[in-house]
Amino acid sequence: MFVYAHPTAFPDLDPARSFSNDSVITSNCYETLTFYNPPGSETLLNPKLAVSWESNPEATEWTFHLREDVTFQDGEPFNAEAVRYSINKTKEIGVGASYIWDPVEEIEVMDEYTIKFKLSYAAPLDLIASSGYQAWIYSPKAYEEHPTEWFNEGNCAGTGPYTIESYERGSRLVMARNENYWGGWKPGQFEKVVFEINQDPLVNQQKITAGAADFTYELPPDNIPNIRQNYPEIVIYENPSFQNLVGLLNTKKPPLDNVLVRQALSYSFPYEQFITAVLGERASQAYGVVPKGMWGHSDQLAQYSYDLDKAKQLLAEAGFADGGFELTMTYSAGDLDEQQLGEVWKAELEKLNIGLNVQGMAWEAQWDLAKSDPLKAQDIFVMYWWPDYVHPYSFLFSMFHCEESILFNLGYYCNPDYDKMIDDGFVLSGTDRQKAEEMFVQAQEILLEDAVSLFFYDVANIHYARSDIKGFKDNPAYPHVVFVYDLTRE
Amino acid sequence: MGWLDYTLRRLLMAVLVLVSVSLITFFIARVIPSDPAAAWVGPHPTQEQIAKARLELGLDRPLWEQYLRYVGALLRGDFGTSVRSHQPILSDLRTYLPATLELVIAAMLIAIAVGLPLGVLSGAMKGSLVDHLTRLVSIAGVSMPTFWLGLLLQLFFFGRLGILPIGARVSNEVALYFPIQQITGFHLVDSAITGNWFAFKIVLVHLILPSFTLATYSIGLAIRMTRSTMAEVLGETYILAARVAGVPERLVLFVLALKNAIIPTITVLGLAFVYSLTGAILVEVIFSWPGLGTYVTNAVLSIDFPVIVSVTLVVTIFYVFINLFLDLAQAALDPRVRLQ
Repeated sequence: MFVYAHPTAFPDLDPARSFSNDSVITSNCYETLTFYNPPGSETLLNPKLAVSWESNPEATEWTFHLREDVTFQDGEPFNAEAVRYSINKTKEIGVGASYIWDPVEEIEVMDEYTIKFKLSYAAPLDLIASSGYQAWIYSPKAYEEHPTEWFNEGNCAGTGPYTIESYERGSRLVMARNENYWGGWKPGQFEKVVFEINQDPLVNQQKITAGAADFTYELPPDNIPNIRQNYPEIVIYENPSFQNLVGLLNTKKPPLDNVLVRQALSYSFPYEQFITAVLGERASQAYGVVPKGMWGHSDQLAQYSYDLDKAKQLLAEAGFADGGFELTMTYSAGDLDEQQLGEVWKAELEKLNIGLNVQGMAWEAQWDLAKSDPLKAQDIFVMYWWPDYVHPYSFLFSMFHCEESILFNLGYYCNPDYDKMIDDGFVLSGTDRQKAEEMFVQAQEILLEDAVSLFFYDVANIHYARSDIKGFKDNPAYPHVVFVYDLTRE
Repeated sequence: MGWLDYTLRRLLMAVLVLVSVSLITFFIARVIPSDPAAAWVGPHPTQEQIAKARLELGLDRPLWEQYLRYVGALLRGDFGTSVRSHQPILSDLRTYLPATLELVIAAMLIAIAVGLPLGVLSGAMKGSLVDHLTRLVSIAGVSMPTFWLGLLLQLFFFGRLGILPIGARVSNEVALYFPIQQITGFHLVDSAITGNWFAFKIVLVHLILPSFTLATYSIGLAIRMTRSTMAEVLGETYILAARVAGVPERLVLFVLALKNAIIPTITVLGLAFVYSLTGAILVEVIFSWPGLGTYVTNAVLSIDFPVIVSVTLVVTIFYVFINLFLDLAQAALDPRVRLQ
């Protein structure tokens, strides 16, 4: 039995709708056509339910060759028709990350194990198909026969190695082996998986140190040194996540409509000092907007550093030699890291005679304010971003592409040259990923030059496992997911 | 006024209260900055998804029409759907409400079993060492932060001694090998009904720490209230007469005096009971107890207004009926009380 002490509940186990931490469950129950490999792997993608795939030169037609002799957990056969059904149904329901399938215009079943996607515009469908959200393939029969509540009562209809045996909402979910799993079973692999929901991090810490749990995350960061020193039977895995923290600067509202002022602000934050003092191994300073470990990231990009003299010089050039203005920074209330960041930055800006009003707000209120008139909105919007599927475009488009109706471009940045560059890069990412990556790096150079945001840091994932658990490999494309099939106990 | 008349009038008023509460919470949820359509879609919605969700959820309708549709659904027993989980709220309530009720009832029973006798003794032995110690216990009970007490108990009984579980309603062993058939949602009741005595024992053991933690405040409350009223009642002439007549002291204290002294205590414990339905959030989080407090707190944090409104209504119903019960109980216990 493998016990995962999980710090949050699972809102929705419906494979077409699930878009939260429930992916730790769905990732063991369902599978995607392709699989995104952890950073450092030889290839970006591995086959999963598709054994191979190809596209036309324009990346507007994609053909996937499916794995044969696979059955769903309800006994129904996995085939091209099931893939067509799953993706069309997910698109039709239209929640979560279902928009990733927007390029798909038509899905054609060529034969039982060959399926062709025709796109209305070029897109990297192989990458899209690896998403940990809204890309699951599920049994059409099960989905037709059962309402969404059936999944949330504790039922599975995927092809994955584990199926749900029981579920007590808010408390515990138990999975058992799918004996008919196409990958087969070897001695030593786990027969049962127990997900215990404990929202108190101290409970999870006590459980794992006492040996009552095998795996957990989100323990109090201050306790890491103590765990490291006193519990050698706990292995701490530190790896990049694909999540970062940004401070979007209001490019429409004076004085931040002046690029020199924005650059000055970018030099005013003590990145390394803050990370060392407050976050420790939980973060590293960002290079641009694409996080470390993800394709599209480049550590050759320029980084702003803490340099108040440089900041003063830029402010003087902008006509604010003595500072003399006040800014409002909003952050998500309850997030201690963001709160401390604001307090530290406030102290630094005071040295430049710039006032910083640090406001913690509920996300909804913060977002509402930012979507209103930019001239009345906050000056600095602090938030996390993470990709729905692993593509730099998620960061570059969502936060910085021109928007007529503001959604997440909460710095109101609009640069047609930049837009064209990333749009072209997106098209290319289906056929020439290397070229696309170069374009995305160049696009980030534009963002850095225009200082549209402070790119504070890339968040690290910290997971804790008992030392007798072997085979765990953190994969930031599937946050906090443990693929239990790969594990054994020594 | 007779019992029936009184009860009917109170029930009518209860309907008015429920309508008012539903109106207020419904409109507040709509007025505060939020976009339920975006919340329905997920963390990274597109404009098209939001527009589609707005139509599907009827959010494009006028507010009054949305409210009437909501009330109409409520009358059919449909509490709506959670914006966050997309699941019927009634289904969630069937899980979380019994879990909380089981915890809170256990806590109240402990509070009565411990608090009342201590309060009686304290009131009877006013000024003695017993009185001082008991008052110390009561002050500690009402002033000690429950989360701190809970953590301490976990550290000691689970961490050091290893004799009690750290949390959850049942152990993994029960969940895997002796699963409790869900009938009422009360694990003690369901395991007893189905003769699953191993699970019954485990559920009882899992209840110890969280219910005791939750009970401490009510124990303190019960001691204080009972002591205070006992001291007053024990000065009454009829008590003196009973003592002079040779009635055993045990009967004087726990029957003759307590019967008159208990009413204020029961009233405050009744209110504490209803408060704990959502106020037990800290205990629920610390002990991984999947209850109403955690459910509604998560809903508040994610502005899941259908859940917020529904839970508010459920708690209001409890308040109304508990208050009615207390008033009727008071009238039953004290013939001087007139129902009006």
